Amino acid sequence: MLELDGITRHYRTRHGVVRAVEGISLSVRPRSTMALVGESGCGKTTIVKMILGLERPDAGAIRFEGTDVGAMNSAGLRAYRRAVMAVFQDPYASLNPRLRVGTIIAEPILAHERPSRVNLTKRIEEMLDIVGLPATAARLYPHEFSGGQRQRIAIARALALQPRLMVLDEPVSALDVSIRAQILNLLQDIQDAFGLTYLIIAHDLALVEHFCSDIAVIYLGRVAEAGPTAEVFAKPRHPYTQALLAAVPLPDPDHVLSEAAAAGEIASALNPPVGCRFHPRCPHAMDICRTTAPLLAGDPHRIACHLPRT
Amino acid sequence: MLLSVRDLQTHLHLKRGILRAVDGVSLEVSEGETLGLVGESGSGKTLTGLSLLRLLPKGSGRIAGGSIALDGQELTTLSEVDLARDVRGRRIAMIMQDPMTSLNPVFSIGDQVGNPIRNHDIASGTQLRSAIVNVLTRVRIPSPAARLSDYPNQFSGGQRQRVVAAMAIGCSPRLLIADEPTTALDVTIQVQIISLLRQIQADTGAGIILITHDLGVAASLCHRVAVMYAGKIVETGPVRQIYRSPAHPYTRALLDAIPRLGTKRRRLAAIPGQPPSLIDPPAGCRFAPRCPLRMNKCIEPPPVTELAPGHTAACWTLA
Repeated sequence: MLELDGITRHYRTRHGVVRAVEGISLSVRPRSTMALVGESGCGKTTIVKMILGLERPDAGAIRFEGTDVGAMNSAGLRAYRRAVMAVFQDPYASLNPRLRVGTIIAEPILAHERPSRVNLTKRIEEMLDIVGLPATAARLYPHEFSGGQRQRIAIARALALQPRLMVLDEPVSALDVSIRAQILNLLQDIQDAFGLTYLIIAHDLALVEHFCSDIAVIYLGRVAEAGPTAEVFAKPRHPYTQALLAAVPLPDPDHVLSEAAAAGEIASALNPPVGCRFHPRCPHAMDICRTTAPLLAGDPHRIACHLPRT
Repeated sequence: MLLSVRDLQTHLHLKRGILRAVDGVSLEVSEGETLGLVGESGSGKTLTGLSLLRLLPKGSGRIAGGSIALDGQELTTLSEVDLARDVRGRRIAMIMQDPMTSLNPVFSIGDQVGNPIRNHDIASGTQLRSAIVNVLTRVRIPSPAARLSDYPNQFSGGQRQRVVAAMAIGCSPRLLIADEPTTALDVTIQVQIISLLRQIQADTGAGIILITHDLGVAASLCHRVAVMYAGKIVETGPVRQIYRSPAHPYTRALLDAIPRLGTKRRRLAAIPGQPPSLIDPPAGCRFAPRCPLRMNKCIEPPPVTELAPGHTAACWTLA
């Protein structure tokens, strides 16, 4: 469905070259939900920008249904932009406050088609119905809705052109616990009903385990570990994945948190460590980790680590 | 008892009307104890914390009733001058959520950490410098003496949160209010700050009020938990009781709505609807419109029932 083949993106800044994304290869199967997980500054956002065509990779290729996005002509790109839609984290920032909800949902449709007025109204109402909002919502403005309802509007807008892939960038992190579950269930229903593929950026590992079929753990622009969520969570093999899982505070007073698993903080992408980028924080670091970057190996559960495979 | 709050009412006077943000909150915190104030946005947990320091929005915010006693001393009747001199930053200090906005970018770290220490006459002159180094050492900033003249942008996110903690503990407060202290941080840094708060408490014996929406963070840090909904505390109890045998339908719904590590993919139990407006809240139980156990009686205010020592909940189903 979507294939990232060794994509790399560097930014030149005053302070030097920021190596935001360094040779990421991932493939997303049709109708699956792939999670990208990692700390701030690991390159998740840059990856999303490249998938949405807002940035071009310096090296490597993004293939959508077998076609290289970088080599598409303008008609191909138009079709690609219809097929790939995004929902962002903050529903307060991602909806234009001066447009009525109906206009917000109509925008992507009008950018690609010339529907009749009657047809357009019908489609807007259909979208609102799918996300659980009444048809009357179309005449109101975003500020008249709560955070959860706004996220429903953002989902309706993303669905309007019947995309095949949806990129969800922290779709529930800005919402309250009681509303999160509503939105996650809605996204699940939509995926089941329309056979969509999701790529979701998330930091809540419990949510990832619950919601995603596949996971890729990113550290400083590289994939540390990737594979089917069930396998990765049952047997995390990269020390960074293990550290992430050990650090999640569980809603259980008897659960003991471990901070020993990853000391210190993520390095800067301006000056990433040589060898394995995780080695300065890794409790198992060996000599080879300081000199040689480990290759991503294994199938379907892939790990980039020098530790003996167990 | 270190802190005892009785029937606290905090109102916000808005153009649309009076918003009863905190509506009859009672809570207690002992020395060396961490109380979690858990709830969703708009439940009044942050305004409860700000009310203790009388740091309410200028003009609109007002404590309309109730009492706040710190070590037996009533704070609601204290003059602004006395409160600023003896309480705020001295006996009660606050750790804010976002170190990007709670640190001033144009003052050095040494200045900012030293400010409360100087203002409250804890130390001055050459002693001030060693007091600052000492407090930065306690929050585990590496080689603190060399970093006093550095600015916030020269510190990483996790270190900035440590500096914010250092500002709060400089005057050895008896009560710390930590408002979402880990929310802006990545999970591996979050766990470091959680253990820092534990260590501060072990060293100083201070009481802590932890304000959070994260039930995981509350479980890992608190001795007792108070669950807030729409301006009221609906359930309070020892942390194990709240998580093992939650009694209030809202607490139960909240615990059911979060995905947990180690459980299989299944549908989440969402809570239908959304919290009520606090300008014109429903009479009776405020959770009733969303409650699966709603009865006719719920249009009257629910009584507080003691279920076990220290474990209370306000619900008609338990009365």
